[in-house]
Amino acid sequence: MSARPPVTVYPLRLAAPLAGFMALFFLLPMLMLVWVSGYADAGMTQWGSAASWAKMFDAFGLAVLGDTLWLGLQVTLLSLVLGYALAWTYLRLPSQFQTLVIFIVMMPLLTSVVVRTFAWIVILGRQGIVNSALMNLGWIDAPMKLLYTRTGLVVALANVQLPLMVLPLITALQRIDPNLADASASLGAGAWRTFRRVTVPLSLPGVVAGCLLTFAAAITAFISQSLIGGGQMLFMPMYLYQQASALSNYPFAAAIGLTFLVAVLVCVSAFNALGRLSRGYAAG
Amino acid sequence: MNHRRRLLQTSLALGAMQLFPRLSFAQAQRLVFATFTGSWEEAHKAVLVPAFRKANNNADITLDPMLSVDQIAKVTAARNNPPIDVMLHDPGPALTAIGQDLVDPFPVAQSKNYKDLIPEAQEPMGPAIFFQVVGLTYNPEKIKNPPTSWRDLWKPEYKGRVGITTLNSTLGTGWLVEVSKMYGGSEANVEPGFKAINELKPSLAAVAANPGSLAALFQQGQIDISPGNFNAVQILKARGVPVEFVSPKEGAIAFKTTIHVVKNSPNKVLAAALIESAMSPEVQTRLMQSPYLIVPTNTKVKMEGEIAKVLAKDHAEMKTRFVFQDWKKINEQRAQWIERFNRDIKV
Repeated sequence: MSARPPVTVYPLRLAAPLAGFMALFFLLPMLMLVWVSGYADAGMTQWGSAASWAKMFDAFGLAVLGDTLWLGLQVTLLSLVLGYALAWTYLRLPSQFQTLVIFIVMMPLLTSVVVRTFAWIVILGRQGIVNSALMNLGWIDAPMKLLYTRTGLVVALANVQLPLMVLPLITALQRIDPNLADASASLGAGAWRTFRRVTVPLSLPGVVAGCLLTFAAAITAFISQSLIGGGQMLFMPMYLYQQASALSNYPFAAAIGLTFLVAVLVCVSAFNALGRLSRGYAAG
Repeated sequence: MNHRRRLLQTSLALGAMQLFPRLSFAQAQRLVFATFTGSWEEAHKAVLVPAFRKANNNADITLDPMLSVDQIAKVTAARNNPPIDVMLHDPGPALTAIGQDLVDPFPVAQSKNYKDLIPEAQEPMGPAIFFQVVGLTYNPEKIKNPPTSWRDLWKPEYKGRVGITTLNSTLGTGWLVEVSKMYGGSEANVEPGFKAINELKPSLAAVAANPGSLAALFQQGQIDISPGNFNAVQILKARGVPVEFVSPKEGAIAFKTTIHVVKNSPNKVLAAALIESAMSPEVQTRLMQSPYLIVPTNTKVKMEGEIAKVLAKDHAEMKTRFVFQDWKKINEQRAQWIERFNRDIKV
């Protein structure tokens, strides 16, 4: 009797071409980066040193890393608050307005990142829309500094990443059975309690997915960070660019890149773990 | 089986040639010149390429515009069969390229035009074919009395209107060195410059991450005065942005832009011929005129137009009004300066 191959197991061979591709164009370059980071000097003559790693993990390097992750968190939180409200409203709109709202939400994704960033310079500048409006209303006497500030950067990044937050949220909220809210109300819960105990837990998978995408996009947004944040803020992507491009210090740049990659992977796994927890919570 | 395998090999090879056309042309005599992107590419395409082809029997040439760092990275990655034959560099990257043994000396002895370059441009490892000039840029609609000195940036009346750039760019680093010199420093000692920049902090409306974004900031009225590149200002002016360039009395900073024959290039003769054309008075004269306004290094070129008016009317005056910096010294410590700038300038 010949054993039949089990139907629930997929032959891994099918994934081999993709695996080979990834190994050649992703894993191999990654290993080369590890190798490069082991050189002691920018000219890459002496191998076998932890100098660039020591430099990455000095107080300044860690501060840059921490600040970059903190920026991501700020942007994610702002996007979540705005995005949740937007997704909530979207589901209660007549369908012709829904199309319009989706179009507006998608706009930032459809615009080139450079154009979008320059639009924010126009909005936030000394003579920008915000400052002229406030001056015309007589609320302020002199233009405020909005461009090249942390607040300005967080708001601009949140705008750009909003679609990544809103779309998973809409999907998650759409899947919630409307009867559940009615059931909750009939059992005596107020609107707020229903939202807190029913809607939020059930939408958690969407929240986690949205946060994950927003976070990853915000911390790696090199162009927006450098054009709206300016030269007085230093985040990991610019730190890497500076070392690789202005100084040709590839060993140190490699150490920065790898550290950043690992840091992002850790954050993503943490979000994912949260996501699994939340699925258990929603089911139970 | 054998037959089928050979068919497979042939088709794979053909496919690869389709995918990577360079493979099949590696031995061909097509000269590849990596110029800079933007207005430099336009100028070289319109003036230098036709002049070179005319002088060299219609030789094949491709412009492959990219940043200095990318040129170095590409040549480093394939030292024995470089994808570029001629490189173009700012002073910092030029020294890196020479230091990493990526370029060959220019055959000076055979050259007709080399001896006509002003002495500062005569670099045997790669002559300078034009200067990039950095001075003060201001908005004439907002600032009625044109600034005259780097010191003017510190004037209290410009508080909240000054823009500078980070040291990542040649412009930013060169400017720091000039400010240091003003207060007793040098290419080896920029301590006074850092002190001065710290005092400038309350005046700063922008520390642009790159010189290119300074342009947009003038347009938006975010800044009214900054150190700036002569050619960048001309492009803005042509588009109607209210902005003017002045040479400060301390002298405008002149960066040599040098052109190099890549080591192991299969096209050395043509590469030298291209450099010859780029040094020639005919090409440099045309490039000096509107709309290119590229500052010539050949002493046989007679200055005219905007360059004669704003920068220098001849090469003798150029020597007195331009400041040339020692980038060999600057490069030695630039990494530490960038690190220091990262820490000092942070908000």
